[in-house]
Amino acid sequence: MLNPLLKVRPYLIAYIGVWALIAIIHILILTLFQGFSLGLAFTESLISNVLLAMIGLALWFPVFFSRLEKENVLNFIFKHLFACALSIGLWVIVSYAILNALFDKHFEYKQFLVSSLPWRGGIGALLYGAIILVYYLIINYQNFREKTLRETELKALVRESELNSLKSQINPHFLFNSLNSISSLTMISPEKAQDMIIKLSEFLRYSLSNKDEHLTSLRDEIVNITRYLDIEKVRFGKRLNVKNNLDEKCYEMKLPGLILQPLIENAIKYGVYESLDQTDIELICTCSERNLRVTIRNQFDSDFHYKKGAGIGIQNIRSRLRIMYGRDDLFSIVKSGNIFEVTIIFPQN
Amino acid sequence: MEAIKALIIEDEELARELIKNYLKGTDLIEIIHECDNGFDGLKAIADLKPDLVFLDIQMPKLNGFEMLELVDDPPEIIFITAHNEFAIKAFDMNAVDYLLKPYSKDRLLTAISKAAERIRTQQPSAKKIHNLIQTPITEKMERLVVKSGTRIRVIPVEKIIYLEAEDDYVMIYTEEGKHLKQATMKHFEDCLDPSMFIRVHRSYIVRVDQVVQLEPYSKDNYILKLKNGATIKVSRSGLKSLKEKLSF
Repeated sequence: MLNPLLKVRPYLIAYIGVWALIAIIHILILTLFQGFSLGLAFTESLISNVLLAMIGLALWFPVFFSRLEKENVLNFIFKHLFACALSIGLWVIVSYAILNALFDKHFEYKQFLVSSLPWRGGIGALLYGAIILVYYLIINYQNFREKTLRETELKALVRESELNSLKSQINPHFLFNSLNSISSLTMISPEKAQDMIIKLSEFLRYSLSNKDEHLTSLRDEIVNITRYLDIEKVRFGKRLNVKNNLDEKCYEMKLPGLILQPLIENAIKYGVYESLDQTDIELICTCSERNLRVTIRNQFDSDFHYKKGAGIGIQNIRSRLRIMYGRDDLFSIVKSGNIFEVTIIFPQN
Repeated sequence: MEAIKALIIEDEELARELIKNYLKGTDLIEIIHECDNGFDGLKAIADLKPDLVFLDIQMPKLNGFEMLELVDDPPEIIFITAHNEFAIKAFDMNAVDYLLKPYSKDRLLTAISKAAERIRTQQPSAKKIHNLIQTPITEKMERLVVKSGTRIRVIPVEKIIYLEAEDDYVMIYTEEGKHLKQATMKHFEDCLDPSMFIRVHRSYIVRVDQVVQLEPYSKDNYILKLKNGATIKVSRSGLKSLKEKLSF
């Protein structure tokens, strides 16, 4: 909002420099070609140029409030013609009044002053054009810089979240505990052991498939989550109770791959790991034409405050959603009593 | 030779089954009981006095380490867990062995023979709680366990208002009441998150956000007023750390 010429010191110095140059040329024209004395030329140059330089600073406002990318061309041109007539008219009248009063006795000069008025208007209009051109260039340059900055930031974020999701894809403790269960099952029930090895392999294959780089169908995600929960059910038995509340007509809707997995893992970690009794984990999917809505609800022990690690997974999901959909309002958490509920809305295009 | 009396404390049924299956056919060891959580484990250790405990670490409510802290005369311990990051702490607690899941039958038998050796030669088993909880702990404490009579209380550190030294014990003041625990102030100073707690005196550690005001008491002495109305003494070095923390 603030004039960039006033905000950025090098711009201001350049602006003053250019005006000094114009003022010198002005003096040279008056002395060499018009034959006026140096004192008079200096005074006139100083008054008219300082005045115009100040008006030039104020021209930031018409520039700021009329952008070619935001309105139609005619409107844009009309606004500037109006601003130009107003500002340059003001400049010509005020400088004329001052100079006329100042050199009241100097007849020759007064005559020149009157005859040069159209010239002054013309030069003023040209300078008006030059000044707003510079302003628009500055705006574009700043936008461009901001854009590149934002892009770099975004890239870093994507890379970081990729790394995080890679790391979080397969929780080593989950893997080793599952292998231990399989080891145990081989002695008790080889069929069940085999079943679990297959589920674990499918889960690992899905997790390693770079699904997280693309959009995938809800069906695939649900299948994978079910595998994971089946494996955990073998480990935890009655302590884990899964309730599904899925609307089948949402199955072909799209969402970023593996985005729900960390939430399910959290639900297990804070629900099942910390509870002696049965913990319910509920997966709810509903949809409209434009949105897919997934809720994961679990019980947790409200006596404990979990801090460590809890934030990172959620942060990661938030940034993935921001990158994918450019929105911040898709993710919500509700904690009430001993129920923890996460809801994500996935816009469908 | 008499069989070693062993107890399994492990929250996953299949993991318990695995131990029992591995031990089928050996008469070296007798599984006298199984528990699926730390509370039951604590009771079983007190009632049954096993020679050896197979102990999981990650368990609901009371984890393996927390449970062990509350045992007065600990038996030999073999930790069995999927977490490799607690091995140093486990051996600091003088555990016989530390098995990483999944593990082989041979690995388990090796651990058991180590335990048998210790039990036979009557080597000092897991150190008493006193020494044991003074081991350097790298990660910050999130909750602590206290025992009053037969009741066990798990206190999240966020509920602590301040700690006061009382000889060999520390009195823990919380929003609900106070609890005595056998430990040293040094232990708490090391384990509590320094951004939340400050040692303000030889005998006091206070939670920073409970401080209401600091008043001069006599020359070189200050007292702190806390939100719950309690007042505690501040030493000169305590004043210095308070100044650093609260930057005044």
